Amino acid sequence: MFDIFKSMIKEEWRMHSSLFGHSGFALFPVFIFLFTFFVSLVLPVFREIVTDAQIALGMHYIFLLVGGMVGAFGLLGREFMNRRFGQASLIAYSSRVLPVSERFIFANFLGKDVVYYFILYILPFVAGFALAAKFVPAGNFGASATLLTLLLTLSISFMIGISAIFFLSTVYAHSGKILLLCLLAASLLLLHISGNFNQGTLYSLPSLSFFLVPSENQLLLSGVLILVPSALSLIFLKIDFPQAQKSFSNSFSKLCRYLGSYRYAAFVAKDSLDLKRSEGGLGKLIFSFVLPLLLVWTLLSALGKVIPALSTLTLFALVLGVLSSSMYNWLTEYDIFSSYAFLPLKASDMIKSKLNSYLILNLVPLVILTLLALKKDPMFLIPSLTLFLTISLYMVSVLVYLTGLSPSINLYNGKIFALYMLSVMPLLMLNIILSMFGPYYALMDLLLIPVALYILGKGFRKWDRNECRCF
Amino acid sequence: MIEVKGLSKFYRQTKAVDGVDLSIRKGELFGLLGPNGSGKTTMIKMLTGQIKPTSGTLKVHGINVLEDPLRVRELIGVIPEQETPPSFLTAEEYLYFVAKVRKMEHYEEACEKWFEFFDFGDQKTSLCKDLSRGTRQKLMFAQAFLHEPELAIIDEPLINLDPVMQRKVKDFLRGYVKNGGTVFISTHILEIAKEICTSIGIIYRGKLVYTGRLDDPELQDKNLEEFFLELVGKRKGISKDILEESQKGISALA
Ligand SMILES: Nc1ncnc2c1ncn2[C@@H]1O[C@H](COP(=O)(O)OP(=O)(O)O)[C@@H](O)[C@H]1O
Ligand SMILES: [Mg+2]
Repeated sequence: MFDIFKSMIKEEWRMHSSLFGHSGFALFPVFIFLFTFFVSLVLPVFREIVTDAQIALGMHYIFLLVGGMVGAFGLLGREFMNRRFGQASLIAYSSRVLPVSERFIFANFLGKDVVYYFILYILPFVAGFALAAKFVPAGNFGASATLLTLLLTLSISFMIGISAIFFLSTVYAHSGKILLLCLLAASLLLLHISGNFNQGTLYSLPSLSFFLVPSENQLLLSGVLILVPSALSLIFLKIDFPQAQKSFSNSFSKLCRYLGSYRYAAFVAKDSLDLKRSEGGLGKLIFSFVLPLLLVWTLLSALGKVIPALSTLTLFALVLGVLSSSMYNWLTEYDIFSSYAFLPLKASDMIKSKLNSYLILNLVPLVILTLLALKKDPMFLIPSLTLFLTISLYMVSVLVYLTGLSPSINLYNGKIFALYMLSVMPLLMLNIILSMFGPYYALMDLLLIPVALYILGKGFRKWDRNECRCF
Repeated sequence: MIEVKGLSKFYRQTKAVDGVDLSIRKGELFGLLGPNGSGKTTMIKMLTGQIKPTSGTLKVHGINVLEDPLRVRELIGVIPEQETPPSFLTAEEYLYFVAKVRKMEHYEEACEKWFEFFDFGDQKTSLCKDLSRGTRQKLMFAQAFLHEPELAIIDEPLINLDPVMQRKVKDFLRGYVKNGGTVFISTHILEIAKEICTSIGIIYRGKLVYTGRLDDPELQDKNLEEFFLELVGKRKGISKDILEESQKGISALA
């Protein structure tokens, strides 16, 4: 019984560490540990503007999101895994050849994710806090009872996230339309809430409220939020996604004709077909982009009410820039360079083609931001668009330089991840601080454009020089 | 067409290719023979500028591959060892994609011709990820010859094909060379070399241990299989009777 579980954990570890080498990967939790350690060392400085409860709020929602992302990656990202490791090479997808039920395997799969990421993310995160508490009197977070509770409630947040996504993906496997309706309803609800928000709603996440005021009810509610969606999805589990279409008309030609003599027409057409035809289809755009954005907007509106100095729109533009750069990850997930290396193409040609698709995809957040800005305060339109575009460009240039055509793999390398955070975090912090002084400080980010272009140029040369390390 | 001098590629522990000199003239159908892991694919990747040699010089089409690998790949056709066309294009869309990348103008007809040649039928509209390995290999074959290159460098293009298709492909290659094309094919299957090649090279543990024409008198009185095993056997230091025994085994199988 326990064997499958153990093998899955081993599999996950080997998968990660064979991709980045043992030391590279083992550094990852160490890095998280150091990160929270240093952040919590400077926390007392911010005591004036944020309360412990608000910090706790941030942490619990972050882990809710992380849970959702891990879940989405495990469930929707399987074609990516298949592509790199061969068909049905993961235990989770080999239920048809193993003499065990799909349900059993998937229950194990969920359990594995929880245990694995508990060790990888949650434990080092809380450990960083614990160590910092030894050096600075960190108030509420110092007591070991508090830290243990935090460990528990962050895990609960994480599990609620995974469970929700698992449930949504099961709904999706049965019918994409029902899912879209659900999401639409949820978005309307969220928008409504964010309109006339009161803080209470935000704090009603049971893991969070249990952390703040432990009570049996909240624990029970957490249990329900974790177990019911998971149980429902296990009961109605369906492995095959609705897209079972076998034959496709030549949309590639059509798209190319539409794009005319544009230099990267063939590549952009191919990328858009990848997005459309891969599992999850355009639903992926909703899962991993629009949904988090809505959540962020809701959180920021709430935060804006608590801390009036923060400009919701400017911060949203910032977050939008950061989230957009993750679209570069999706775009590169469908390809391995070795599929192209024998054609008259360089690695930089491929990167440039991906960047073209990236720019086009960025139109989605651009439209969202424009609409929001016009509705809320047109004065903010220009600065927040500038902020969004420059941050998005800068983030993607760093990503290209550090990770080339395999960001989702290379970022798990501890060293690369550390470099990435170092080149990105100070800038984001600076922008958050600047945003408190008024929207037009964002125009300073225009300086990022030459920097980003320089980094891109360096990146192109770097990846052309490197032999294709084909995964 | 191909001029190689002192070509080597060393990885940390292995000498994948070790000091190869080779010259292939226009109109040859050159077969690079060797057991698994002998360095064929590494050789082909260097010829097509996908990896850089540790040392040595190489010219393809009169162009220094190290200086202008892109130009070389523009001119030639390549079938890589692994058939991994992009997952979410259909077979037809993939050929169109390659044609676009190669900046071809009128390609619809050429693509159609290849689909007919390989009996694609409905599979033309299936996604590449849903195709069988054999079908994907056919697709990679079509892709390499789509722009009618003067030189094609192809890595074990027949291993997943059924006998009928193998026959067709071999006939195609022979005709192709007769019409002035040049082909560099790697294979570990002696039969193929014997049937279609005009000249061969035998590579073993990275070293080119034999090159010559197939009408070489040294080869005439021997069967190619014996010759191959002899060369490889000597290097391995296998004693003569084991060699003979395994030869018997192989003949019995045939
Ligand atoms: N990227 C690499 N790193 C280390 N060793 C390699 C690499 N590529 C090939 N080799 C080694 O080089 C040798 C030749 O491999 P290859 O050219 O693929 O042989 P063949 O195509 O003849 O089967 C093998 O021993 C293989 O293990
Ligand atoms: Mg090979």
